[in-house]
Amino acid sequence: MSRRRMVWAVPALAVLHFVLHVGFSLGAVAPDLLTVALLVAAREVRMGTAAGLGLLFGLLEDAYSVLSFGANAFALTVVGAAGARTRDLFVGDSLLFALSYMFFGTWARQALHWMVVGADVRAPFVQTVLLGAPLEAAYAAVVGAVVLWAFGSSWETVA
Amino acid sequence: MAGYTSENDERSGGAQGYLTALFVLVSIVVLSLPDGAQQRTAAALRATLLRPFVLVQEGIARARVHAATTEALQARLDSLTAIVANQRTLALENEQLRAAVGLGARMRTAYQPASVLRSGTTGSESSFLLDVGAEQGIHVNAPVITQHGLLGVVREVHPRSATGIDWSHPDFRASAMTLDGSVTGFVEARQRVFGDLERLLLDGVPFHQRLEPGTLIVTSGLGGVFPRGVPIGVVDSEAETRAGWLRSYWLRPAVDPTAATHALVALGPEGQPGAVAAAFGVDTLAAGADSVRAGSAARGARRGPRRGAPGGGPGGEERR
Repeated sequence: MSRRRMVWAVPALAVLHFVLHVGFSLGAVAPDLLTVALLVAAREVRMGTAAGLGLLFGLLEDAYSVLSFGANAFALTVVGAAGARTRDLFVGDSLLFALSYMFFGTWARQALHWMVVGADVRAPFVQTVLLGAPLEAAYAAVVGAVVLWAFGSSWETVA
Repeated sequence: MAGYTSENDERSGGAQGYLTALFVLVSIVVLSLPDGAQQRTAAALRATLLRPFVLVQEGIARARVHAATTEALQARLDSLTAIVANQRTLALENEQLRAAVGLGARMRTAYQPASVLRSGTTGSESSFLLDVGAEQGIHVNAPVITQHGLLGVVREVHPRSATGIDWSHPDFRASAMTLDGSVTGFVEARQRVFGDLERLLLDGVPFHQRLEPGTLIVTSGLGGVFPRGVPIGVVDSEAETRAGWLRSYWLRPAVDPTAATHALVALGPEGQPGAVAAAFGVDTLAAGADSVRAGSAARGARRGPRRGAPGGGPGGEERR
C-alpha cells in the first residue's frame, strides 16, 4: 500500500471502527478495524510513530472502559511498535504473510489486553486468549486482507 | 501486502527507540492513573473526539424506541392504567393503616428516564452509557431499572451523561429476597463459561430454606442502594450447598442487558435528596422530651425571677 493511500485508509478504518462499535453497538459482530488500521500503518511508518498511533487509538478505545482504563492504550502501543519492528524481521508481500501478520497482531493485542486488565474484571485465560481471541484475530485477518486488497495491494505470491 | 520503504535507518533508529519507549511508558502511566483522573480523561475523550459516534448511537436508540408499534405501546398503557386503577384503593387503605399505627407517609422514589447506550469496544463489556447526568439529578450508585427489572447501577456521573455497570459485571452485587421477604440472600454476577449465557448467583441463603425453580427474586432494599421490590431474576436451579450452613442458587436474570435501550434511573426519595423525614411519624420520644422541657420551664417560671425566668409564662397564667 502506498503512503498516500495509507494516509486515507487508516483514519477511514478507525472512523468505521467507532461507527460500527459505538454508533451501531455491534460489538463482536464487527471486526476489530482499529487494530487492522494500526497494523496497516505500522508497516509504513516509523516505530515511534506507530507506538504513538497505538497509544492514541488505545485511549479512544479505553474511553468506554469503566474499570480497565489504559489496558487498550498499553496493548495497542506495544502492538504498534512491534508491528513496525516486523519490517526489519519479516519481508513479505504474500497473502499468507498478510493474513498471518493481521492474525498474530490482533491476537497479541487481545492477549496483552487480558494481561494488563484487572484480575477481577477479566474472563478466564482459556476462554479469552485461547478461544475467543483467535476467532476475533481470524476475523480481523480476513477483513485486513480484504482492506489491503481494496486499497491497492497485490499479492506477489498467492499462498 | 505491497512493498514498503523502511525508514528505520541507523541515525533515526535510536531516536525512534526512545520515542517508542516514551509512548510505552505513557501508556503504563495512563494504566496506573488514579480512578478520578482516568474517569476525567475518558469523559473528555467521549465529549470531544468520540462525541459524533455517541450522537449516532443516541439517534439510533431514539429511532428504535420510536419504531415500537403504536399497538404495543397502547397495550402497555392499558395494562398500566388497569394496574394503577386497582392500586388506588390499596394506596388509600395503606395510608389509613399507616396513620393508625403512627407511621409516616410511605417514601416514594423519583425516577429519571434515560436512553441506554452500549459501546461495543474492547473492555467496555458489561458497562453502558446514559444520556442523563448530574444536571438531571443522577448520582453515583443510582439504580438503573427497566420495565422487566434491575439492569444495573451508575458508576460515574458527568454533567449530562453517566456511565453504569449492568448485572453481568463482576463488581455487581445486590441484596435480594423472595417476594414475600421470607428468604434473603446476596446476588452477584458469575462470569460465563465459553458459549454459555451470563447468569446470576443468589448466595447466602440459609441451609434450612429451600427455593423452588421459578421463584421470583427481588431487591430487598438493604444497604440503601436499590429500592425494595425490583425484580432481579427467577430461580433456575440449586448451585451449591455448604453442608448444614448455606445454599446458593442460579438465577435466570429478569433483564437482558444487551436488549435494554430505555431505562429509569432512581433518584432517591422525592423532594430534597436524602430527605427522609417524611418516612417517620411523630417522634414520641422527642415529643416526650419536649413536654419534659416545657414542664421544667413552667416550674422555673412558678419559682419566680430568682431562677432567671423573667415574665410570667404558662405557669404564671395557671397560678392566676
